[in-house]
Amino acid sequence: MNNLIEARKITKVYADGTVALRNVDFSVRPGEVMGLLGENGAGKTTLTKILSGLLSPTAGTILWKGRPVRFSSPREALLAGIGMVHQHFALVGPFSGVENIALGAEGGPLLAPVQIKRIRAKVEEIMKNTGLQAPLDVPVEDLPVGVQQRIEILKVLFREVELLILDEPTAVLTPQEVDELFVVLRNLANSGKSVVFITHKLREVLAVADRITVLRRGELVGVRNAKETSVEELAQLMVGREISAVRKREAPTLGPEVLRVQDLVVPGLGGELSVRGVSFSVHAGEIFGIAGIQGNGQTELVEALVGLRPWKGCVELNGQSLAGLGPGEIAALGLAHIPEDRHGMGLILDMSVAENSIAGRLSAFRGLFGRLCWSNIFRFAQELIERFSIQARGPRTPARSLSGGNQQKLIVGRELSKSPKLLIANQPTRGLDIAATQFIRELLLRLRDEGMAILLISADLDEIFELADRVAVMYRGTFTGILPAEELDREKVGLLMGGLTLEEARG
Amino acid sequence: MRSFLETIAALLFGILIGAVIMALWGRDPWASYAALFQGAWGNARALASTLSRSLPLVLTGLTFAVGVRAGLFNIGAQGQMLVGAVTALSVGLLALPPGIHLALALAFAGIAGMIWALPVALLKLLRGVSEVISTIMLNWVAHWLTLFLVVRKLSDPVRGERTFQVPLSMRFPVIQGELTWALVISLLASLFLYWFLWHHAKGYEIRASGLNPRAAKAAGISVPRSLLWAILLGGVCAAWAGAIQVLGRFPYAITSDLANLGNLGFDGIAVALIGRNHPLGVLAGAFFFGTLATGAARMGLRGIPIDMIQIVQGVIVVSMAAPEAFRMFRLRQRKGEK
Repeated sequence: MNNLIEARKITKVYADGTVALRNVDFSVRPGEVMGLLGENGAGKTTLTKILSGLLSPTAGTILWKGRPVRFSSPREALLAGIGMVHQHFALVGPFSGVENIALGAEGGPLLAPVQIKRIRAKVEEIMKNTGLQAPLDVPVEDLPVGVQQRIEILKVLFREVELLILDEPTAVLTPQEVDELFVVLRNLANSGKSVVFITHKLREVLAVADRITVLRRGELVGVRNAKETSVEELAQLMVGREISAVRKREAPTLGPEVLRVQDLVVPGLGGELSVRGVSFSVHAGEIFGIAGIQGNGQTELVEALVGLRPWKGCVELNGQSLAGLGPGEIAALGLAHIPEDRHGMGLILDMSVAENSIAGRLSAFRGLFGRLCWSNIFRFAQELIERFSIQARGPRTPARSLSGGNQQKLIVGRELSKSPKLLIANQPTRGLDIAATQFIRELLLRLRDEGMAILLISADLDEIFELADRVAVMYRGTFTGILPAEELDREKVGLLMGGLTLEEARG
Repeated sequence: MRSFLETIAALLFGILIGAVIMALWGRDPWASYAALFQGAWGNARALASTLSRSLPLVLTGLTFAVGVRAGLFNIGAQGQMLVGAVTALSVGLLALPPGIHLALALAFAGIAGMIWALPVALLKLLRGVSEVISTIMLNWVAHWLTLFLVVRKLSDPVRGERTFQVPLSMRFPVIQGELTWALVISLLASLFLYWFLWHHAKGYEIRASGLNPRAAKAAGISVPRSLLWAILLGGVCAAWAGAIQVLGRFPYAITSDLANLGNLGFDGIAVALIGRNHPLGVLAGAFFFGTLATGAARMGLRGIPIDMIQIVQGVIVVSMAAPEAFRMFRLRQRKGEK
């Protein structure tokens, strides 16, 4: 079979000397779904950016329908028939679906009614053929993320692309939405279009792809037929070593109640409530997991607990009310926080590792007249680097220059050095490579066994399943259910994440 | 190291453009630049003059630099400098022993600077008013208030072109030529702020607040308190700039057109940018500014018109301030994206 697109010996070296891709071959046949698998930093996004004209390769050639091409912009690639849906959508919030699709493709005056009508007809036809349904007249900002994503896809399909590239499309979807997306992708492939599907989730790629290309550290490690491979083989290809099996956990030995939350209400922006009356408690020696699609109030819940956001209700840490306390005072009571936004809230990227290691614990390094004892700080930072095997040249290295995994280790190390009673870990492994993810998960389990109370918020179901002893599922600001570990199963949690109550999910 | 090379490159670039401009107008760039540097550094007297002109710029430069470290765009040095100058001068109405008189003048000037800076902090922290707006307004209030006091209340009965001169007991002793011991004030302020920002817990909090206020807040740092500190410290520095200009430099008074206070406050912005908003870099930036100011006089003697001198000065300053200004802009943009 002829390849629709073929990339030969692609090498990409970034200006800072990073080799993102090394002699990578990649091809997609007409009418197939190609899974592009790899850890973060393996080069998946770089490769697709090259295919879609966003980056140009340092070396190598691209054949499009057998002819060598060189796209100098995404626009050229789009005209040729290659469209990409990025992780971060490019939609105009107040515009309706059809207006967003029309934008830039009107072929006439901006959003003229006549054009819109013509465009709508064509979009409706596409929707019928692919099964990709989305409301076209609602402002997209009022739509759930999953539906916004469909509009993004429609936008690209409307340009009559033959190759559709999706960058981690399932990161924002519920399990049910993922299934629906897969049906759509299958339909597209059956109608002769080709799809490149980027992910680092093994189960998904096996469920939807015909063939799977695996990248590791910028190199091609293998191409497999989906039917002839397994999760184990793919995982091995991805990480280059057998990942340690999920640890069999012993039942938690519950200690005293550390965190008690009752009827917590947190206002969000614009007067709406982000958290609407949530109650739970976390004991010493257990991991309490909060699952749910991002944007259902988890962020606000955490920010309220750590003192960054006003709230109403009752929150007690070791029996002491947190009402009216600020982040510093709450931390002093024994709360450590691994924030979900590593760069925005966890670290000060322009400061050094040493300077970051003392954020929130200045008092331990203050000498006479508030002087900072730098020798102690450097010694402490060096200790963190060694204890948490942070790959950094030294304490003076700027935090910005560390990789995501090492940045997270720095945060975790710093937070744990406060010897907290309660650790709140919000999306602690998001965006990390497998090794760092494993490191952090094992650490959380060890801390649990040592008797720490841990509140884990994660949109990654695998993580929740692997770590949590009890799981609450959050949906639109409330818990749709709290389940003990024994009762966990993927489908039930999926339904709860979609808004069904526990009774409905059990029935 | 990289930023140092960048500054040198910017300097050479500015000098080159200046040379082109002069050549286009039929002047000899080499001779002109030779005159400039000879005029500024050529002998002890020239060097003393250059240093003397640099001293207040160090202080106003520090005001801006500390603001930037806290994430502020504090352009209130001009007003605080004027208030400091007129306060220090007014202390001259008292009769006190030498030394004590000088110390008291500096203390009052510093307090006046803080008072003048306080509304900036209050408006920002309580009402969310941008420090850019409030400092511009307060600068004008300070300007007219100072002018009123200088012309109507403090003027010399015999010499209408200036105020009374400060008594000898309140003047900085002379080191050589125009250079006085006001030098110590600028040096110490710069060294202190360096120590404070990098070796003191409060300074750490100020820098953290400036680089990433969300992370600072999450780490239990009071960002408002950091901003308050940065604004008040800046007020003291700027006020002292005005004070040492009156107490440490001829005519030991304020001229009735405020010309001897000039644009010290605003020039501090460029000084800080040249010095990369680092307290020690500010020393170098101010010295460079002083060089241009002193050297210009000698260039004038060479028959270069004052307009062209100013153009050349401007080109060089803009070129040298550009890298840091650009960096700040990018930092702001990055923060905006979050």
